[in-house]
Amino acid sequence: MSNGNHDQFRLGFLTAVEDAERGYVGGLLITNRFGRPLEFQCTAPVKPNRTQQILYGPTLKPYVLSELIGRTLLEKVGVKPHLILLESLDLLDLRSVTSTPVASLVLAPDASRPALQEQGDGKEVATATVLPNSLRLGNEVVVFHSTHDEDRTEIEKFAKLVPVDADLREPFERVREALAETVRLSAARPA
Amino acid sequence: MADVIDSSATNSSAIRNSASGGTIAGHSTGGPHWTPLQEIDARDLGSQTNDLLDELQPDVSVAAIPLQIRAEIHSSGQNVALRRWPAVEVESQHLPKSPGVMPSWKPTRPKIATYGLQFPEGMSLIAKAAADGKSDHSDQSKAGKSDPPPIEILPGYEPPTLASLVDGLVEEPKPKQVTRIKPPDDALAIEDRLFYLLQPPLQSWLAGQELIMPFEPFPYQYEGIGWLFSKSSALLADEMGLGKTMQTITAIRLLVRSGQVRRVLLVCPKPLLPNWQREFRTWAEELPFVVVEGDGERRKLTWTIPGVPVLIANYESVVRDFAAFGEGEFPKFDLIVLDEAQRIKNRTSRTAETARALPRRRSWALTGTPIENRPEELGALYEFLEVVPPNATPDLRQLQSLAKQFILRRTKNLVMKDMPPRLDRDAYLELLPAQKSAYEMAENEGVVQLNNLGDSITVQHVFELVLRLKQITNFDPLTGESAKLDRLEADMEEIAASGGKAILFSQWTKVIDWLAKPMEKYGALIYHGGVPNKQREPILARFKEDPDAHILLMSYGTGAVGLNLQFAGYVFLFDRWWNPAIEDQAINRAHRIGCKSQVIVTRFISKDTIEERIDKVLTEKRELFAAILGDGDDTNVTLSMNASEIFGLFDLKARHGKGTRVIGPKPVV
Repeated sequence: MSNGNHDQFRLGFLTAVEDAERGYVGGLLITNRFGRPLEFQCTAPVKPNRTQQILYGPTLKPYVLSELIGRTLLEKVGVKPHLILLESLDLLDLRSVTSTPVASLVLAPDASRPALQEQGDGKEVATATVLPNSLRLGNEVVVFHSTHDEDRTEIEKFAKLVPVDADLREPFERVREALAETVRLSAARPA
Repeated sequence: MADVIDSSATNSSAIRNSASGGTIAGHSTGGPHWTPLQEIDARDLGSQTNDLLDELQPDVSVAAIPLQIRAEIHSSGQNVALRRWPAVEVESQHLPKSPGVMPSWKPTRPKIATYGLQFPEGMSLIAKAAADGKSDHSDQSKAGKSDPPPIEILPGYEPPTLASLVDGLVEEPKPKQVTRIKPPDDALAIEDRLFYLLQPPLQSWLAGQELIMPFEPFPYQYEGIGWLFSKSSALLADEMGLGKTMQTITAIRLLVRSGQVRRVLLVCPKPLLPNWQREFRTWAEELPFVVVEGDGERRKLTWTIPGVPVLIANYESVVRDFAAFGEGEFPKFDLIVLDEAQRIKNRTSRTAETARALPRRRSWALTGTPIENRPEELGALYEFLEVVPPNATPDLRQLQSLAKQFILRRTKNLVMKDMPPRLDRDAYLELLPAQKSAYEMAENEGVVQLNNLGDSITVQHVFELVLRLKQITNFDPLTGESAKLDRLEADMEEIAASGGKAILFSQWTKVIDWLAKPMEKYGALIYHGGVPNKQREPILARFKEDPDAHILLMSYGTGAVGLNLQFAGYVFLFDRWWNPAIEDQAINRAHRIGCKSQVIVTRFISKDTIEERIDKVLTEKRELFAAILGDGDDTNVTLSMNASEIFGLFDLKARHGKGTRVIGPKPVV
């Protein structure tokens, strides 16, 4: 991305939903910096078998979400994002399989907005910014992978391109809704 | 030690043997497992056991419990078998020297099927603010400072809220509202449904980030924009004044931006061309448009001009130019919007036929009065929307079902929370003496003449008398006396003193011209069919901007449709139109989205005259209309006065069974 062409900046919103019967379905929405969709990719349901469940143990979920779903989606997507956003720290390991900076929103999706506290000078700062490996992006605080400190510089650069009031949780809602729709439609379709 | 425990668990005699250094009797002798217990005095047993324990205590920490169980073997004759050792056989097993091959597992990355969807590239249009080199991070505040449209009727208003209308009330922060675009019911393919589902909420799309919105739309307008965006066939039938124009322009803007449409044709009545141009400049400043006008050659060139996303044309041009193009040569449009679509209600008219023949992918129609007279008019609109086959005559049930899918209609009552109220006050006025005598004479003579006509009487005869009488109620042609004018002057004095502005409607341009002189002191401006098109916009601009211009005199035909005059707080209906829908359209020039304060509507009705009788009929019709449209758009009520009703005004009966024929004059557009 050239510095002069901010409109080329693309964000990737990656998340997955779990279907009790079919397993995990992942979705990746690429948008421009204002949230307008450019591309969407989703996976077929991924259900770990019994062997995987036993052998991966507690690492199963990060494995399925990051290595299987996340990596596949990033490989498939045609419009490559400059920054991948996640809404769960479970997926942060995705950074180990991609060269694109990855950041996760800090709070759980059902939690309220990041708490803002007023400093003495009247400036509002997010309390979460005191977390290591975190910084402000849009109206959220994001965390990047501890082993990739170089992501801080990159994300700081992107942070300037994202409007300060951009709601970074909202696109995840769209992805979840789209995933629910694909699961619903594929379930309704005769095999 | 094992012996001891074993013995203690069996019998006390064994314990004794062990304690004296012997072995268990059974094992050493090969005798029976159980030897008969010798009788021991219980006291002996207790003391012996204690001795035993004393010896053991250094080694074990358990206390043996003396058992006093007597085991006696019943002599059965087979006791010998109990002495026999069980037979034991030994079998050797050959163990493998090295472990065999076991199933192995290595982590592999399975191939996962994916499904993808790329969104079409929208047209890259540059907003003026951005083109001027301004940062678009604060677009909202700068939007108002961008080049103003040549004539701006819309004031720089903020949407009024109930709280803002009441002094002293502090507005509470509004909860964040989100309007998502829903996939249309007829979108079945997964890619179509995902296309709509993945669009951002309208609020964030239009929040001044990528698309500059001069004013924040109301919630119901967001809903309308989203609805239009997702519809290939749509009839937006919001009541007048609710912002159909803005919703349409914004939906077009979003479609262009998301690559769904590249060429749009907007067709409207000729007097509304300037209005649409102004609204496009206000609501979509980055969207280029061209008006189809000029001579035939120039128009032909305009129709085919490449790279212009929006063309605006009037109905007459479309009909004329469509015929001028050869068959199949007329340019194709991604979207065609018909404003005031009731113009095609007669499906056999040339306008309707042309509209249906225009090559297009999407069809939208806009009207505040989807049914003016008969439900069949709705059928003509559905035919344009291509949701019924040609010449179809859907029955009332089918119309209702189609309405649910293809019509969006909101009334002011539904969204009144967003609007300041409209106050209707009817002014019942006594005719002045000269008016009264002129009126009585005209009526008596007129009725006599009508009766003399006998069977040759037609509604037209009655209609002429009605018009003559109505004119007298406005003013006496001989003396110029007018009860209405007296009342108007009294009201205007107050309105002008408070800096207010009023719009007055009359059926006749003659009356408007007559009113101009007495209203001169209030800066009266005239706007009717007799005013050349080019002069009309400056008149409206002056009415808005000139603080001394307090009243605008308009005719129903020219001023009733499409104009935005929401800065006027007063509306006078100097005389009454035949159709309450037209009167409402007129009133809604002022009482529409954006008006900051209540609108006071005064209807002048002369007592004991034809006006009072007409008012009674119209009031009943209005109530009926409201009752039916309140529940939906299915109505077969005839809104205009019909022949029977006209005859009824003079207690005459309709002849020749034409009781339901509509004779109300059509508004001049």
